[in-house]
Amino acid sequence: MGGLLLLACVGWLQGELDRRQDRSLVQIEGLAQLPQGEYLKPALLGYHHLGADMLWLKLVQVVGKKRNSADEYEWMYHALDVLTTLDPQYAYAYYAGGVVLGDLANRPDLSIRLLEKGVEANPDVWNIPFLLGYNYYFLLGEPAKGAEYIMRAARLPDGPSYLPGLATRMAAEAGSPDTALVFLEARLRETKDTDMREFLVNRMKEVIIERDLRLLERAVESYLTKRQTFPLTLADLVVAGTLPGLPQEPFGGEYLVNSHSGSVSSSTHPNRLRTFFKRTKPPAYLFPKIEPLYSFPRTWE
Amino acid sequence: MKVLSIALNTFRENLRDKLLYNLLVFALLMIGSSVVLSRLTLGEFHRLILDVGLGSINFFGVLIAIFVGIGLVSKEIEKKTIYTIVSKPVARYQFLLGKFAGLTITLFINTVVMALGLLVVLYAQGVPVEGMLFKALALIFVEFMVITALALLFSTFTSATLSAIFTLALYVIGHLTADLKVFGAKMDDLSRGILDGIYYLLPNLERFNLKGHVVHHLEVSGVDLMLIVAYGATYTAVLLFTASLIFHRRDFR
Repeated sequence: MGGLLLLACVGWLQGELDRRQDRSLVQIEGLAQLPQGEYLKPALLGYHHLGADMLWLKLVQVVGKKRNSADEYEWMYHALDVLTTLDPQYAYAYYAGGVVLGDLANRPDLSIRLLEKGVEANPDVWNIPFLLGYNYYFLLGEPAKGAEYIMRAARLPDGPSYLPGLATRMAAEAGSPDTALVFLEARLRETKDTDMREFLVNRMKEVIIERDLRLLERAVESYLTKRQTFPLTLADLVVAGTLPGLPQEPFGGEYLVNSHSGSVSSSTHPNRLRTFFKRTKPPAYLFPKIEPLYSFPRTWE
Repeated sequence: MKVLSIALNTFRENLRDKLLYNLLVFALLMIGSSVVLSRLTLGEFHRLILDVGLGSINFFGVLIAIFVGIGLVSKEIEKKTIYTIVSKPVARYQFLLGKFAGLTITLFINTVVMALGLLVVLYAQGVPVEGMLFKALALIFVEFMVITALALLFSTFTSATLSAIFTLALYVIGHLTADLKVFGAKMDDLSRGILDGIYYLLPNLERFNLKGHVVHHLEVSGVDLMLIVAYGATYTAVLLFTASLIFHRRDFR
């Protein structure tokens, strides 16, 4: 009886400590404090593959959160770097890590660094150079480099049959929405994760908006040369015969035209997809962070 | 014949050891727990089961080899049962060989039980089993033999506690010896010679580690495999020979 009481006491104390010291804080900070892979590997005495598994398990729990802060993504990169030093052949970790760092964290620099390490250690795995191509094409706006990596993926034995066509299209029509749609469809075919599929479908719709806006812009331009004025509504374009029909906005909204400036936009996505524009200034991640932005104690969402 | 009867006796004695069953149950629990862990992971859950399974077999096997191995000789001396054996027409080296063979049989059966546990889990989870798994298990067993011989060597001249410490230390060092060569390469000729000497003297246990090969479907050529097994067997023979030399001169008063 006394023993049971003590056991219950232990359980309560444990729970109370967990509650007070916030488990997720301990977990995420643990990633930042991981020693470099080169030092950790020998310390694991030949169990480094198991070590990589345990680290992956821990990492998956952190990534499982809906949103992470910028620091957390940097720690995640560090953990992925350690993990792939412990087990350089862990191809899935490179791919999944590359997706998270590139698409979710918007850190193509870290994603590319991880993936390039992956390509070096696994020259026969096609989806690592494939994702590199995606990163260069979409996130950095360098279609030529993107096409180069897709070509590389296409040469590998297990690469899907659509890769060569995709690579040539990319190289030929760099920056065109139609190529982007083919590319996104290819990614969608390789992804089973529901969150990621949702992201890709969303991105496809955004690209469709971009494609439609370009179409509308061309129609407005020819309307202008024909009538010497901007159309009042988009329906005028169809009436004037510069457009066969109005495209449907994929998010269920509508396309609008400004009758003064002639600019077209979508009601659901007033800002245009930046992927197809050349960056005028370097992205924020290229500036090194001088000091960490956080201070203790810090609470996590 | 004498060696065999001592071996079988040692085996029977080992079976009465509670430590053995504790470790075995723990190993099987670990292997089973990989199923639960694989539910939490993302992506390749196969590799988690294989890694945890092979890791547990290796780790618990090493613990059995060390902690049962150190008691092989020292227990006989402590309980004075050694007198009844030494007074019989049995050479001391035969006694040692019998002891070694006995624990090897125990370890073999343990490895088979743990491997069966892993195979059941793999089968239940629908993970394809490849030939590499058995090669890796075979080399894990060779590692057990080297460690048993090490434990036996230490237990011929020192107490059980010290033997355990020495064997554990050599187990750790055995997985790090590759660094000695790297350090040596950066030093002058004399230091390099010394470090190389130590490198060749110490067991390179990392050679027996093919766990990663199983997960990544890498192959090892038949010749390499034979050489690794030969290395393990030769190293074990050297250890047993040294142990018999020391044991031969040992005074039991």
